[in-house]
Amino acid sequence: MKPNFFKAAVFAVSGTIASMAMPAMAADEASSLDELLKKVEAGYAADAREAKAREQRFIAARSEQQAMLAKAKQTLKNEENRSAQLEGTFEENEAAITEKQRALKERLGTLTELFGHLTSTAGDLRSNFQNSLISVQFPNREEFVTQLIDKMSGAEELPSIEEIERMWFEMQREMTESGKVVKFDTTVTTADGQKEDQTVVRVGTFNLVNADGEYLQYVPETGALQVLARQPSGPYMGWAEDLASASSGMTAFGVDPTGPTGGSYLAALIDSPTLSERWHQGGVVGYVITAVGVLAMLIAIWRLVVLSIEDMKVAKQLKSGQAMTNNSLGRVLKVHEENPSMDSETLELKLSEAILRETPRLERSLNLLKIIAAVAPLLGLLGTVTGMIITFQAITIFGAGDPKAMAGGISGALVTTVLGLIVAIPTVLLHTFVSGRAKKILHILDEQSTGIIAEHTEGKAG
Amino acid sequence: MYQLNEWIDIIRRFMDAGGDVLWAIAALTFVMWTLSIERVWYYKFGLSKDVDAAIKSWEARSERKSWSAHQIRQKLISEVSLKIDASLPMIQTMVALCPLLGLLGTVTGMIEVFNIMAVTGGGDAKSMAGGVSKATIPTMAGMVAALSGVFISTYIKGIAGRESELLEDHLTTDH
Repeated sequence: MKPNFFKAAVFAVSGTIASMAMPAMAADEASSLDELLKKVEAGYAADAREAKAREQRFIAARSEQQAMLAKAKQTLKNEENRSAQLEGTFEENEAAITEKQRALKERLGTLTELFGHLTSTAGDLRSNFQNSLISVQFPNREEFVTQLIDKMSGAEELPSIEEIERMWFEMQREMTESGKVVKFDTTVTTADGQKEDQTVVRVGTFNLVNADGEYLQYVPETGALQVLARQPSGPYMGWAEDLASASSGMTAFGVDPTGPTGGSYLAALIDSPTLSERWHQGGVVGYVITAVGVLAMLIAIWRLVVLSIEDMKVAKQLKSGQAMTNNSLGRVLKVHEENPSMDSETLELKLSEAILRETPRLERSLNLLKIIAAVAPLLGLLGTVTGMIITFQAITIFGAGDPKAMAGGISGALVTTVLGLIVAIPTVLLHTFVSGRAKKILHILDEQSTGIIAEHTEGKAG
Repeated sequence: MYQLNEWIDIIRRFMDAGGDVLWAIAALTFVMWTLSIERVWYYKFGLSKDVDAAIKSWEARSERKSWSAHQIRQKLISEVSLKIDASLPMIQTMVALCPLLGLLGTVTGMIEVFNIMAVTGGGDAKSMAGGVSKATIPTMAGMVAALSGVFISTYIKGIAGRESELLEDHLTTDH
């Protein structure tokens, strides 16, 4: 399609050129040689006429040109005169400027030094204002100082007394405000990126918190306030909330003393891992210890419930005269009740047999609890050692120069020790408690069952 | 009053320096000593009543020679000795747990030290000292608590054994 269209266009253009050329050639073309001769003759005559006319025109123009030349020469002379005159004025002015500048310098005198100090102070003040939390409350201070600096470095204008006084005022305000705890409204960027108008509390130049008790971060580059994405844990949040809701008086609050220089303590607090992150640092061994600990707790609670119920039933049995089958003591006493005419030796044998039958039921899982109590610290030790191995591997790779790389591994290793101890300590306590219950019941079975039976037979006999 | 406030302040500062584990040690020591004092109180004031009751019921018997008399004597002894030995294993376990809790404090304190090291790069010995005191104070407190517990529990154990033996001697059989 495209080449066809192109061809058609070429034909159209060539056609137009041909049609234009054809009639011109036809008009100039002489039909015979005589005719051509005539035409040449006529043409020559016409040319001669034209040449004569042109010559006439040139002669007329020559005088005109001469007049123009004379006029241009006159103009040149005039302009040269004016140039010389202006040059004179320029030199005069230059001399006047030098004179004036000298006079200015003379009059400034000691003031030059003063303005130098003013400039350097303003420069310091600008960098102070850039990083200061007080700029959130009083914006535009920085612009003023920047303008002042520009003006003074320009050397064309001198700062006015009002400006110098305002700089004094701003310095004084920075000082005064740095000792105050104030509440004010401003725009805050929340953690999810929304801009909100919030009431914030500024503690000197150190910290900023909002009404929700969240710590805020001041970004000097953009002058924006941001809610810290991760807040410090512990009592700091509660303090911040107290401070935000307080209207007067004293409130305890966690101030970061490094606030004016970047807030590195707050950052360190935020960087320190939370409890759950710590727990994850323990790794696989940590999870195993936790699982074992949960198992121990469940066993302890289960045995505690079972043994407490048994204890209550035994206490009831001790008071009642009838042997009940719902408790271990009752079942032991039942042996005698079923065979009242047994002689004492057989009875003792039968009783100890019955007690032996009851023992495993009472002591069930207690050994497991004891084993867990012993194994948990060992698992913790295992985690410590594996953690140390990881640390030493880190040293082989990165060298011992970076305490941060090592410290991370070491604190991870210690977490398992802590977990082991945290599991072991309550497990030991619970084991003592639960096995105490079991031992008490067994003690009763062992040493008192025969006595109870003897009392019964005596009671019946007497 | 001023003196009391000063003491409270000293204790509070000590607790702050030692960290949270110190509170656990304090609670454990408190329970341990409460149980111990209860035991001593019982041996001094409550036990004689129980022993007298046992002796009385034993002396009231018409005969003290037969098999059943022996069994009943054993039952009486067992009942009283159960009371004598109550909460003794608990006290001993608590004594054993005190150094363990101290160890726990040591390790958590060390974690804090390493955490500070990770944050500051190890250059700040002053801030690490806080973690070190959190590591060492609970160890010391655990040791002190355990030592005090060892003394009292040994004392109580001695009394318990003596009282049980005395009771057996009191309930004499008529051969």
